Amino acid sequence: MNPQLSAFLDRRPDVWRGDRFAGAPLPAVASGHAVLDRELPGGGWPRGALTEILMDGQGLGEMTLLLPALVRLREEGGWTLLVAPPHPLHAPAWAAAGVDLARLVVVSPAPGGDALWALEQALASGAPAAVVAWSATADARAVRRLQVAAAAGRGLAFLFRPARAAAEASAAPLRLLLAAGEAGDLAVDILKRRGPPPAAPLCLALPRPVRRHAHGQPLAGAALRGPAATRPLRPAATRPVHPVA
Amino acid sequence: MSLVRPPGPGKGEGEAGGRRGRGAEGLLLDIGPCLRLFGGLERLAGAVAADLEAQGLAAGLAVAPTPQGAFWLAGTGRPPPCPDLPALRASLDALPVAALDLSAAVAAQLESFGTRRLADLRRLPRAALGRRIGAATLARVARAYGELPDPRPDFPFPPRFEAGLDLPAPTDQAAALVFAGRRLIAALAGWLGAGQAGVAQCLLHLVHRGRPATALLLRFASATRDPARLERVLRERLERLPLPAAVEGLLLAADRVVGLPGRSGGLFAGGGMDGEAMAALVERLRARLGDARIHGLAVAAEHRPECATRRPAEGVAPPSSPPAAISRPFWLLARPRALAEVGGRPWYRGPLHLLAGPERIESGWWDGGEEGTDGPAAGDLRRDYFVARTADARWAWVFRELRSPGGWFLHGWFA
Repeated sequence: MNPQLSAFLDRRPDVWRGDRFAGAPLPAVASGHAVLDRELPGGGWPRGALTEILMDGQGLGEMTLLLPALVRLREEGGWTLLVAPPHPLHAPAWAAAGVDLARLVVVSPAPGGDALWALEQALASGAPAAVVAWSATADARAVRRLQVAAAAGRGLAFLFRPARAAAEASAAPLRLLLAAGEAGDLAVDILKRRGPPPAAPLCLALPRPVRRHAHGQPLAGAALRGPAATRPLRPAATRPVHPVA
Repeated sequence: MSLVRPPGPGKGEGEAGGRRGRGAEGLLLDIGPCLRLFGGLERLAGAVAADLEAQGLAAGLAVAPTPQGAFWLAGTGRPPPCPDLPALRASLDALPVAALDLSAAVAAQLESFGTRRLADLRRLPRAALGRRIGAATLARVARAYGELPDPRPDFPFPPRFEAGLDLPAPTDQAAALVFAGRRLIAALAGWLGAGQAGVAQCLLHLVHRGRPATALLLRFASATRDPARLERVLRERLERLPLPAAVEGLLLAADRVVGLPGRSGGLFAGGGMDGEAMAALVERLRARLGDARIHGLAVAAEHRPECATRRPAEGVAPPSSPPAAISRPFWLLARPRALAEVGGRPWYRGPLHLLAGPERIESGWWDGGEEGTDGPAAGDLRRDYFVARTADARWAWVFRELRSPGGWFLHGWFA
């Protein structure tokens, strides 16, 4: 392109160029993963827009992926709302990860019930700073409604859907497909974003409960034999935790 | 000055536009300094009239430069506003003498010598007139005409709110009760607004004929004076309330108020207002999904995983105890899921690779066999926990049961 024209266009954020990220109307919230932030328009999770995360099952590190952003919201004093999480939450893990439990609300509608309704209400109210929701039943129409509701607010909105939804069209401006990567990493495939078509899937090294070098060496031997032979690595059993006054 | 003057109790419709009897009640508003704030006289008068309507009060309304003049003018209904003293004097001149609330004898005497209007009265000699109708009345006339100063004490709001109303006909329809309750809620919101206060709960009595009233306690997720929130909770509770009989009247009382000063929102961020918005959202979700389906999260000081999570009402979680540094999964299955054992290893859609552990978690005899709030208590445990990776590279938390009959169980996911 003509360098003068290019320089001129660079000064005009209201003109979108096909090979650039669109300027986000609201500042994004950094995801906390530098590799991912580089590929996200605005340098992070978009505010006031629905982010779809496609994966099957759980346990890949999907919440670990979102946590840095959720912890950042704690500094702003914002509320986090979880709608229809796949399992009950284990409070010590969330507290240890830095989430402000006093500003966390969990909505668990009856199965097959009002999860999408609750999600739409939450997004439209604009009250929570972040909404994370799980739905296996949301279709393209529901996602469009949710995106409209999310656009009215200025919070983060994440919707977990099964991986098979990757084949469907979706109104969400950002869609990620999660899969297990090499050596315990998380593979993030950006299916859709505002900007140029993404390249190869990213590999994120997330903090996992076990250090990386241990991945290849599963425990064996004594630990797997019967109770009589068990010798715990910790000498004492986990004792009851007493709160510190 | 504006005056609002509801008719005294027992005054019928036939007197509309004419004089009101003695003891008519009034409310004086000093609106001079706040006209610009409310967007001008017309809009303010419209807002006052709309509020009166919402509360179901029939009242005269007049605007005048003196309080006494406004009070008398309002007795005639809703005359055009008098912006200045000459206009007020012209309006007052036309008032009948009866507006002064004189005793019947004095009124008859004045009538007998042809004094019908205030203009006639003011043409009489002062001293003689004072002897006939009393110096106090004469002074009131002078104050109305702006010839004497007229200081007024401030109106003190009652410390406790209690308001009732009678329904035009007994009903057991929730919609009708909500409609009637709206008036009380508007009054409550106004009372709270004047005191910069809010209520976290208030009590509604539904009055029946010949039997004790039904008391309905309205609770809010946080202290509020927002009439929309008050009404939403009222509707939700009334729709689910079984009534023993038709309701003849409503009585709304609130005495436990908490300070709720106005807040200034941030210029760019949402400011501190999202707590209020969040409470409204939680109330809406609860109305449809039920109380039990929305909860907060808090850490309990417990070593057994099943017992380490509490579910307080949202937003009231006390400061949690310092979290343990050991790794715990985000998701904890509602019930441990039994796993097969293949070749000495636990099996979940393939062999599980144990990466860390065992971590022994045991004991808990103290609540064995008791019923907890969320079903049976966890009771005595004896388990070895492991961090495991599944064949498809997911991170799981599994344990081996050390008590007979033993076996492997999946208990959580490191999401």
